[in-house]
Amino acid sequence: MPMICKIEKIIQETPDIRTYRLKFREEGMMEKFNWMPGQFVEFSLLGSGECTFCIASSVTRQGYFDCSIKRAGAVTADIHTSLEEGDEVGIRGPYGNWFPLDDLKGKNLLFVGGGIGLAPLRSLIQYCIDNRSDYKDFTILYGARTSADLCYKDEIKEWQENKSLKVVLTIDKPEDTWTSNVGVVPKILEEVVKPEIANTKVITCGPPIMIKYTILSLKKLGFADPDIITTLEMKMQCGLGKCGRCNIGSTYVCKDGPVFTNDQLKGLPDEF
Amino acid sequence: MSFSTFVTDKAGLQQFYASIVEKHETYAPVEKFGNFDFVRVTSLSECDPASPIERTRSIKPLFFPRSAKIMKYVATSAGTEVSETDEDPYAGMRVILGAKHCDARGLQVLDKVYNWDYIDTDYQKRRRNTVIVSARCDKAAAHCFCTSLDYNVENLDAMDVLVVNGPDGKIYLKARTEKGENLLKSDVARHATSVADEASAPALKQQYEAFASSFRLKMNYTEVNGKLSNIFDSPEFEKVSDHCVGCNTCAFVCPTCHCFKISDEKLKDTGVRYKSYDSCNNGYFTLMAGGHNPRPAKYRRWRQRALHKFVYYKERFGDNLCVGCGKCTVACPVNISIFEVANQVASTAM
Repeated sequence: MPMICKIEKIIQETPDIRTYRLKFREEGMMEKFNWMPGQFVEFSLLGSGECTFCIASSVTRQGYFDCSIKRAGAVTADIHTSLEEGDEVGIRGPYGNWFPLDDLKGKNLLFVGGGIGLAPLRSLIQYCIDNRSDYKDFTILYGARTSADLCYKDEIKEWQENKSLKVVLTIDKPEDTWTSNVGVVPKILEEVVKPEIANTKVITCGPPIMIKYTILSLKKLGFADPDIITTLEMKMQCGLGKCGRCNIGSTYVCKDGPVFTNDQLKGLPDEF
Repeated sequence: MSFSTFVTDKAGLQQFYASIVEKHETYAPVEKFGNFDFVRVTSLSECDPASPIERTRSIKPLFFPRSAKIMKYVATSAGTEVSETDEDPYAGMRVILGAKHCDARGLQVLDKVYNWDYIDTDYQKRRRNTVIVSARCDKAAAHCFCTSLDYNVENLDAMDVLVVNGPDGKIYLKARTEKGENLLKSDVARHATSVADEASAPALKQQYEAFASSFRLKMNYTEVNGKLSNIFDSPEFEKVSDHCVGCNTCAFVCPTCHCFKISDEKLKDTGVRYKSYDSCNNGYFTLMAGGHNPRPAKYRRWRQRALHKFVYYKERFGDNLCVGCGKCTVACPVNISIFEVANQVASTAM
């Protein structure tokens, strides 16, 4: 049974991505809602349907949580066209596993994101920024098709101004006013970021094709499989390990995932 | 705890059944359009507990309904309220007569997925409040292969009361659980006499052996399971699935298939949410909103179906997700047999 949330704010991130800032309607519920970076919720636009979205903000930013939603299918189109600030939606969760926070402590962190794939990383990035002293070097590589398709533009500015973070942005094709990198994420990873391999954990998310080539690049650079962490996109409905939709082999992505290391991914049947 | 066995005759069995129908909320096979479905009965004459297996639907819908409302809501400018749907029609104390033993086994397999992690309390309550009376078959039908799988058909404890037509013309009623014991004690006592296990064992064994020797289909389960575990890239999946029309009927009639979809229906300011059967054979099953689909081709969906049945569920929960009832094969409009699929793909393994 979903709990009712009120939309506090809608932020137009890109032409087809909006961030919905949510808060539970029931007094005191928001304080009880605890989640870890990487977990997801089932989001109901009642009458239209239920969709799976990662929580795009960190529990360390209290009083709300964000879902960044790209207009992609029927329900997300309804969400974009019919929901306004102040409207109510249903939320179930949080579900799924989370990024292995203990394994990340004391390491260099390299985040590699593409498009809407920055959303689950943002939850972890915020969490790590809010506990900055636990981690060493902190690099964010983020790319999108065009400069207009980059999410969280204001927040990226804050990250760029934060001297303890290194931020590398890239877009696929040149644009007149763009002064930063041009090229797909794996290329920039190898040619510009040139990450240190020792003591570094890489956390990546993006379109399936980007994840695939990013992992190939990381392997080429010399990263070990357990140091490559990704979060999988898979069709889900119940979030409870019942409906069967997210099965890959004997794994339930909704329970055993969505966060997997590359060595775990290698153990799954090659469905992607 | 040891359970009782009673011995009776055909008339005694009918009296036992009639007593159950009279005293309890009873579900039993009722013929409709040539097939038997488990529905609520109020007199024994409406139903046939000995309905033929190949024309009898599964009892699964009494625990996991084909399509059921799981939530309703009202959304107006004044706010949104969600609430439970009306009372669960399957939550009360009830007895099922005429369940086939493979079908009862199907519930035992389903219990594993419903009772891990998140507990489906509706399912659990329906299971807890149901007493299953199930007769062991006397003869295998053309598509049956339950005796080839990973469970012990002879000593199956998936039903609460086992009914066996003894070769001596007598009928044996054996309690398998405490619920079954209580039902036997309250409803059978007047029509049957108690018999010691040692005295009934030879007749039960003889009946089982005659039944077990009547199977046309046989497979070496351990070998098939082992071979299918290492055959993900087999081109054979394309051959076996080529003529599938994707109707999903196999999943809908299966006693163990449990994939479902959640969908909303809206009427102005109110609406309901349904949980309905779905299937991994459905082309849209894994289609994501952005257009990405990890199983865009039919052979990939069939591979998922076959391997989930014969490998993945076993890996995860310890049981094979096919009970060998043959319902999918009987129902298939293009004559695909899960038995044949599993064997054919396995036979091409290195």
